[in-house]
Amino acid sequence: MSLSWIILGQLDSIESMSTSKKVITRDEWERKLKGVKIRKEDMNKLVMNFLVTEGYVEAAEKFRIESGTEPDIDLATITDRMAVKKALQSGNVQDAIEKVNDLNPMILDTNPQLYFHLQQQRLIELIRSGKVEEALEFAQEELAPRGEENQSFLEELERTVALSAFEDVKNCPYGELLDASQRLKTASEVNAPILTSQSHEKDPKLPSLLKMLVWAQNQLDEKAVYPRINDLSTASLEDPAI
Amino acid sequence: MPASATGNRPEELAERLGVGGAAAEGEALLKALREVKNQIIGNKTKKLLYLHLGAVPRIVSVLASVAGGGDAALIVQAAAAIGSFACGVEDGVRAVLDAGAVPHLTRILSHPDEKVVDAGARSLRMIFKSKLTPKYDVLQEKNMKFLLSLLYRENENVTELAASIIAHSCERNEEQKALYDAGILQRLVKLLGGPLNQRDACLESIEAIVRNNSEVAQKFACIDNGKALSSLIELIQDRYPRTRLLACICLITIRHASPCFVQEMQIKTKLIIILIELLEEPGTAGDEAPFALTNLIMDEEELHRQAVSINAVDKLCNFFYKGPIEPRRLQGILLALAELCSKLEKCRSQLLSLQVLNFIVDALKHDCTDVRIAACSCIRNISRSLKNLSAGHLSSETVVVPLVQLLHDESSLVQVAALGAICNVAVNFAPRKSVFIQCGGVSQLVQLSKSMDPTLRLKSVWALRNLMFLADRTDKECVLMDLTISNLASLICDSEHPIQEQALALVSNLVDGCRDPFEHAFAEDNAIINALTRILRGASSPGVCIQGMFLLANIAAGNELHKEVVLNCLLPPQANGDSPLFIIKFLQSKENLLRVASVWCIVNLTYRDSLCSSTRAARLRDAGIISQIKTMVNDPCLDCKLRVRMALEQCMDFENTHHVH
Repeated sequence: MSLSWIILGQLDSIESMSTSKKVITRDEWERKLKGVKIRKEDMNKLVMNFLVTEGYVEAAEKFRIESGTEPDIDLATITDRMAVKKALQSGNVQDAIEKVNDLNPMILDTNPQLYFHLQQQRLIELIRSGKVEEALEFAQEELAPRGEENQSFLEELERTVALSAFEDVKNCPYGELLDASQRLKTASEVNAPILTSQSHEKDPKLPSLLKMLVWAQNQLDEKAVYPRINDLSTASLEDPAI
Repeated sequence: MPASATGNRPEELAERLGVGGAAAEGEALLKALREVKNQIIGNKTKKLLYLHLGAVPRIVSVLASVAGGGDAALIVQAAAAIGSFACGVEDGVRAVLDAGAVPHLTRILSHPDEKVVDAGARSLRMIFKSKLTPKYDVLQEKNMKFLLSLLYRENENVTELAASIIAHSCERNEEQKALYDAGILQRLVKLLGGPLNQRDACLESIEAIVRNNSEVAQKFACIDNGKALSSLIELIQDRYPRTRLLACICLITIRHASPCFVQEMQIKTKLIIILIELLEEPGTAGDEAPFALTNLIMDEEELHRQAVSINAVDKLCNFFYKGPIEPRRLQGILLALAELCSKLEKCRSQLLSLQVLNFIVDALKHDCTDVRIAACSCIRNISRSLKNLSAGHLSSETVVVPLVQLLHDESSLVQVAALGAICNVAVNFAPRKSVFIQCGGVSQLVQLSKSMDPTLRLKSVWALRNLMFLADRTDKECVLMDLTISNLASLICDSEHPIQEQALALVSNLVDGCRDPFEHAFAEDNAIINALTRILRGASSPGVCIQGMFLLANIAAGNELHKEVVLNCLLPPQANGDSPLFIIKFLQSKENLLRVASVWCIVNLTYRDSLCSSTRAARLRDAGIISQIKTMVNDPCLDCKLRVRMALEQCMDFENTHHVH
């Protein structure tokens, strides 16, 4: 008999726990949202900041004309940055290196890991175009010294050089190095130091806002039941599941 | 394309550089310069190659020929190449300096083309980063004016350059004061409101100007009615880690220069919290954070406590579990832990309970010298814990063997650090010190006690002294056999007083607790006693004399033979009336312990139950020693007063008995 009382007692407290959270209906929520004022200029600035930081220079230029929002850095510098990205995406690593050096010679001199990755990309491009002998010569002359100068590069170096040993490169163990995604990876690695050298923030503001939203919702979840944004890309409100 | 395509081999390229002769001109020269520049940037191997091909003087001559007003593109490429040679390669910096690049680069700072100015500023910045570059003489008025003009330029690269030159060139107080008087410090404060890189450069610069200079630090704190100081305090919470770090370092420097600023517990605690959080940052900001933390809390127990209360020890130790740590950061973490353990028992226990000792011991075997030294400091401070020493946590093979290995290290700094740790670890309360002796520790300590370097001698003797503390007879024999009496005697007579002191303390530990304690003191023709007598008669430090007198007092507690020898030591057979006896000098000393030890000696010599005590008392009386002691009946030191009473009572007895007979 006492056992069933204990169980009943526990059930009681569980129920009271779930009902102690405040419930906010969709109507109520949308009403509250309507009451918050957001300025258009602020949103424009966020968009411009995103375009500029990510390097979408044409879009930024167009947006500037159409919205009248001024970018916070000189669009000419974005052009330089985009030229580097473009060169990398088309596999012209040497050209990309020269462009970075023209922008600011200190970048590659003070970022050994970035420099190594750029040279690694050069090696990958040589292997991709089937120039195996040239690739091996390059690996020996240019990459091996990097490994000697810095032991932490050796592992990555070995992987890249191993690529050249395979006949069917696309399907070998490290084949993913030949994907376009590898080029993009290198390209985004270059973006950050260029921005920092220009005293510009290397991350756009938009992701921070979204992170704040996710965090705030998680905090609120402990106290209330309310329409949530579960898909950031659509930002649609989803009714609380009761 | 690999660099070995035709026409572009380094030797050929280098040939084309320069002015006149076989050098290229115009477009061809520009192309060659650009090619070389692109090859060397980021590439240490290529830099060294071109250095050996003599590229630097050639490029500087090109710069010299166009700096006045030639092709801007040529100037940019030449300047950029020179800057790259100076980056990260010492030989490169030397070559650039020797070739006289600096004046030409300085010249192009006033070029109308911004790109040229940028190139010049960046390269100069690289050059001034190196320790090899001579300081810019800020005491010369025209130089100061030039720096100030740079700080008023719109170009960010130029202001950053000026800030780095300043940080590089102000060491002496007069230089720092001159920079303040010229208004440079005030301008730097204004520039703190600028873009990120400029702000960071200014923070470094400000720190250099106020470092160890209380006058300038005070003046800084008064700039803008204290607004300058408040902006620093704001910057420690900036969103950029590097800015936070530099601002913290700046505040710490100001505090050390002039302690009346940054003294509220609140701000100090904030600094500790921020620096501990910075540890989580990747890159140099996180690497340097522990060094700044160590600097902040150095020697201040209250701050140690604060740090411990916000879990500093835990957070530092967490890094050991996150995988391999980069050397600089590892050194920082070890030094921070060492500092925290230097005073607080709580820290030492916490560290041991977190089971990270094995990581620290691993660091003893690290490739990097600085890491090995830091690990030794850490162990030395942890072993200040008597509780843990007596529990034997630090005297196991796993700790002792690597420490002893470091006694053979190629770096004497590492040897010194290892000795420091061994000094403490050797204070083992267990009767057998076998681990240490078995792994060859003693022979290496003995070896180091013969070193030319006085620090090595001192610390090795100290370690032997601690090792012999409460050691058993077998271990003592072992040490003595290795060390030999004659070496011990010469250590007693060492030119350095601290070493004399440690040697005497070692002898005391060797004789303590033995059944025939003084056999060693009298071995080899009384070598040790003779050495002891010699230094007591000479002018040695109070510490040495105290050790020596206590040793004599202990020997005087032995048998008749021992007492006789001690008496002869005090009263030399051929005493000339001119020089006063050292015992009398000691009895008149200001040092309490020295007086106490000396009176003890007399007490033991005139001990009632000994046969010849009365004769000895008579001799002492004749030498005027008893009368000296009589003047000490009201000695301010209680211990001394009691011994004086004992001595006089004993001597009175002899007088009375004498009279009776």
